[in-house]
This record gives sequence, structure tokens and C-alpha cells, in this order.
Amino acid sequence: MFAPQLLGFVSPSINWWALLPQMILLGAALLILLLSSLAPRRSSTTFATVTTLSAAITAYFVSIGLWYDVEREGASSSIASAFGVDGFSIFFTMLILIALAITALLSHHYLDREGIDPPEFHALLLCSAAGAIVMAAANDLVVMFLGLEALSIAIYVMIAMHSRRSEARESAVKYFVLGAFSSAFLLYGIALTYGATGSTNLVHVREYLDAVVFRDQHMLMAAMGLLLVGLSFKVAAAPFHFWAPDVYQGAPSPVTGWMASIAKAAGFAALLRIFFAAFASHDSDWSPVVAVLAFVTLVVGAVMAILQTDVKRMLAFSSISHAGYVLVAVQSASNDGTAAALFYLFTYTLMVLGTFAVVGAMGSDDDHPLTRYAGLGRSKPLIALSLTALLLAQAGVPTTSGFIAKFQVISAAVSNQSYFLAGAAMVTAVIGAFMYLRIIMTMYVVDDDESGPSPVWHWTTSTVVLGTVIFTMVLGLVPQFLIEFAEQAVPILIRG
Amino acid sequence: MVAQNIFFGILAAVVVVSALRMVTTKNIVHAALYLVAVLAGLGALYVLLTAEFVATTQVLVYIGAVMVLFLFGIMLTKAPLGDMMQMTGKQWPIAALVALLLGGVTVYALLDRFGSDRLVMDGPVYKTADVSDEVFSTYIIPFEAVSVLLLAALIGAIVLARKD
Repeated sequence: MFAPQLLGFVSPSINWWALLPQMILLGAALLILLLSSLAPRRSSTTFATVTTLSAAITAYFVSIGLWYDVEREGASSSIASAFGVDGFSIFFTMLILIALAITALLSHHYLDREGIDPPEFHALLLCSAAGAIVMAAANDLVVMFLGLEALSIAIYVMIAMHSRRSEARESAVKYFVLGAFSSAFLLYGIALTYGATGSTNLVHVREYLDAVVFRDQHMLMAAMGLLLVGLSFKVAAAPFHFWAPDVYQGAPSPVTGWMASIAKAAGFAALLRIFFAAFASHDSDWSPVVAVLAFVTLVVGAVMAILQTDVKRMLAFSSISHAGYVLVAVQSASNDGTAAALFYLFTYTLMVLGTFAVVGAMGSDDDHPLTRYAGLGRSKPLIALSLTALLLAQAGVPTTSGFIAKFQVISAAVSNQSYFLAGAAMVTAVIGAFMYLRIIMTMYVVDDDESGPSPVWHWTTSTVVLGTVIFTMVLGLVPQFLIEFAEQAVPILIRG
Repeated sequence: MVAQNIFFGILAAVVVVSALRMVTTKNIVHAALYLVAVLAGLGALYVLLTAEFVATTQVLVYIGAVMVLFLFGIMLTKAPLGDMMQMTGKQWPIAALVALLLGGVTVYALLDRFGSDRLVMDGPVYKTADVSDEVFSTYIIPFEAVSVLLLAALIGAIVLARKD
């Protein structure tokens, strides 16, 4: 009786290779939880860190293999077109895995120092990374939303896990409430996209929008607007940035680094895939709106950063202004602009993780007044030098990767004839540089007779700082390989 | 056909009366139970529309999970269980106005768009088996992604609620 129905069921072809990175991460998360709950004593931090690191490295090698597959056979999409296997998704997978390895290293010492349970933290970190990869690779708005929620929910808890500090709880609740709020915007946008185009699948959306001319496109406009607002919250673009300084300040430093790098990168991955790839035929509608957002974000990020006295708040506003630069690249709605955005996100991720590595080592997270950094140049010259290099790179000083990134963004804006925005980006880069220089000046110039601060250092932190500094400097001199990598990673929507 | 219309009338009356009682009763537990009647009535309406899967989901999610959560919430927050005189807040006229507006707009939009349409009676019937086929083929990735999301939420809830 049931036989005809069973015969009618066609199981979709599944590209297991493409899913392998996420599956490795989730497998590692389950392994950590399982073994730590079977262990008689409280399990060691080392076990969790090593598992997370090896999962990240294994998944990284798998994605290198995937990259060559895509290069050889072209982009594809898998499992009823819900999951994109293109240069774009692999680019972000690699970026997320690098950030995952760095965050695992940074949290190793931090968790011991602050008495946070390592297995749960690492399991959540792995879930969060898997969610970010799903978000970057999703070809379907529903899948993208689920990835976003997995990424965010894990982050809410990672912030709040520091239970003895009320700031962490406060910051987690703030992030949770605003995150839920922005998810509602995003969901409403997804619903209206479905209403306007008849599908949540971005491949269908693109084909539909290419084929159909709307008599009135109010619903599509509303859909685009709501999607943009929802994602602007996630990437902390002004005027949707108000949560960022408070949350960055209250969160544990390794988590702040993870939020500032990967939550932002995954948000931009979604933004690029939805707007640049799926809504490509309507770029004259969304591009001006993104340009306005970019301008406001640049100005707010640069100007407000100057007014801060807390280093973590300064860096929060600096990350807002970085979001502005990426938006400048996004609004150009061209392949060059998208490649510039990808390049920017890659370099930014490593710079910001290195910076927060130093910030995390500078002591407790309750507050990070600028005065704590006074005299660091004398007491720990190497650390001060590394932080100087990373901050100069964030400011966009030539011979660092930050300069190449800003240069690419501005040249994409110029070739798109957005001269005003390109000019605004240059001016705000100068204003923003003031803030970075202020931190550097404090480290070197402020003269006091005391011995200066002594950061809590650990070899994992030095590894991360050294690695990010070398990457930033080398990339400033030979950027070509990453530029080519980014150019081949422009999103492609293709039916599976 | 006739039987369906009769049952629709009965169910609609039950839903409307329960909804009215829910907002007028003075006992918060009674209000919750009236809400159960409203949600169950809606579930029965879905059965009349041959949407058996939606009906089951309605029962499982709303009556099974959401209502239990409500009752637990009432129980754990030590809210007074007897009749209360202050159940109706001061802003009730505004709330009523908003509800009337929302209802009016919904009714207008539905009549404007579908007012003269007739329900297709001999159209395709989608059984629960069809839904499950879709979930395990077209929507397999969302289905699996939800499980990742729930895993993260579960670990998070345990981590935050645990006292050690």
C-alpha cells in the first residue's frame, strides 16, 4: 500500500565533499562534549584546544581540495540547490577556519585564567564556526538564516559564560535582544522575498528577477530593505551599530575577536550573496542605499572612535568603520568591488584577531582604559611593536595589508564613479588614523617612572600575534596571491 | 460538503467564544485554558481543510509546547492563581482599537484579494507523506541545519542554567 509512495521518493544527490568541513567541525564539537562528560575529572583545556585545532586544520585541507575541484570543474550547487559550492563559499570557509584556529589558541590560556569550562566553550565555538560556514555557503535564504542563528546563539552563550562578571551577562543580553530583533527583520525580508519571487532559493530568485519585469515592485523593495536592515545589524553598520561598543567592551576578549571578525565576515558573505549575486538585476535599486549606509558608517566609525577612552570601545568603533569600507566595495556592485570586499575581509579578520590577542593579554576585561597601555613600549618592546604594526595596518599605512585593502576598495568605488564615496573613504581613513596613533603614542611617548604594564603572556598568544603580524606585513609587500584568490572567489549562483 | 459547513460553523463559534472569554476572564489560568480551546479549534479547522500535517503541528507546537510553557511560566513566577480584579490593564481601549484595526485590515485585505474566489474542491490533496518527502529531499539541508542550531541552543541553555 505504501510502496508507490516510497518509489515516488527521490533522494537528492548529496555532495558529501562539500559538506565535509562543517561535518568535521560538528563532529569535533560532539567529540569534545562526549569525552569530557565521560572523563572522571574536569577535563583539561589542552584536550579541547587540540581537538578544535586539529578539526580546523583537517577541514582546511579539505577545503583546499574543494578549491581545486571547483577550479577544475566549475562552481556547482548541491542538495536541491540549497548549498553553493563555489569559490566564494570556499574562500569564506578557509577564512572562518583560520579564525577558528586563532580563536581556539587565544582562548586556551584565557579559559584557564578566567576559570571558564573549556569543553562547552570549544563546542560552542565549533558550532558557531559551522553556522558561519553554512551562512556563507547557503544558496537558500532559509538555510542562510539557520546558519546565522547557529552562529549567533553560540556567540550569545560564549559571551555570557563568563558568569562572575556582570558586564559579560549584560553584554550578552544586549547582543541577544538586538540580535533577535535583527533576525526578525531578516525573516520578514525573507518572507517578502518569497512573496515577490515565489522562492527562497537564491538561484530561483535570480532567474525569476532576470526573467520578469515587475509592474510595481513594492514588495521586492520592502524585501530588500528589510534584508539590508537585518544584515546591517549583524555587520554593525551605522545607524544599526549601537550595540557594538557595549557588547565588544563587555565580552571576553577572544569572543570579541571572534565576533568582530567572523560574525562580521559571515554577515558580509550573506550580504554579497543576496544582493550582489541574487538581486544583481536590481542593483540600481539597492546600490544607492548601500552607498548611503557606507557613508554614514564611515563617518560614525571614524568620528566616534576619537571620542573614546576605552581601548575595546575604540576598537569597536574601528570595526564599525571597517564595515563602512567593505560596504563601499559592496555598493559598487561589480566583480572588482566584490573581490575588494573579500580581500578586505580576509586581511581585516587577521588584523583584528591579532589586535584582540594583545588586548586579551593586557589583563582583565572589566575595563580597558587607554592609560593601561602607557609605557608598554618600554616594559615590553616586542609586544608594543607588534601592536603598533597591527594598528598601523588597521589605519591603512602603506607596506601593510591594510593599505592594499583600502586601496582596492577605493579604486573599486572610483571605477564605479562613486567619487564622493571614494573621497569620503579617504578622509575618514585620515580621521580614523588619529585614533590608532593615539594608542601607539600612549604606548611609547607617555613618560612615567613606573615600570609600565606587564601583560599576561602565553606562548599561544605570541604564536597568534607573530603569525598575524607576519601575515599583515608580508601581504602588504606581496599582495598578489590573495588578490587573485579573491578575484576567483566572486559568488556564482548556479542550479545544482 | 454540508457536514463540513456545519462543522465549520460549530468550530468557528467555539473559537470566537473562547477567544472572547480568554480576554475577559479574571483568572489567568482560565485564560490560558481558553487559549488552548482557541488553538485546538484552529487545529480542527486545518483538518477540515485537509491540511492534516499543519493540524498535527498546531497541536504539537502550540498546545503541546507553547501552552505548557505558559502554564509553567504562571506556576514558576508565583502569579496569583485565583480571580484577580486587576487583570484588565488601563490601556485596554487602545489595545482594543489596535486589535480592531488589525482585524479590519486583515479582513479587508482578504476580501479585496480573495473575496470572490471559490475553494477548489477537487484539487490535489497533499498528504503528510508528501510533506515528509519534501523535508527529506528538497529541504534536507534546512532540516539538518535546524538540528545544528538546536544543538547549539541546547548546549548554551545547559551551560547558562547549570550551577557549579
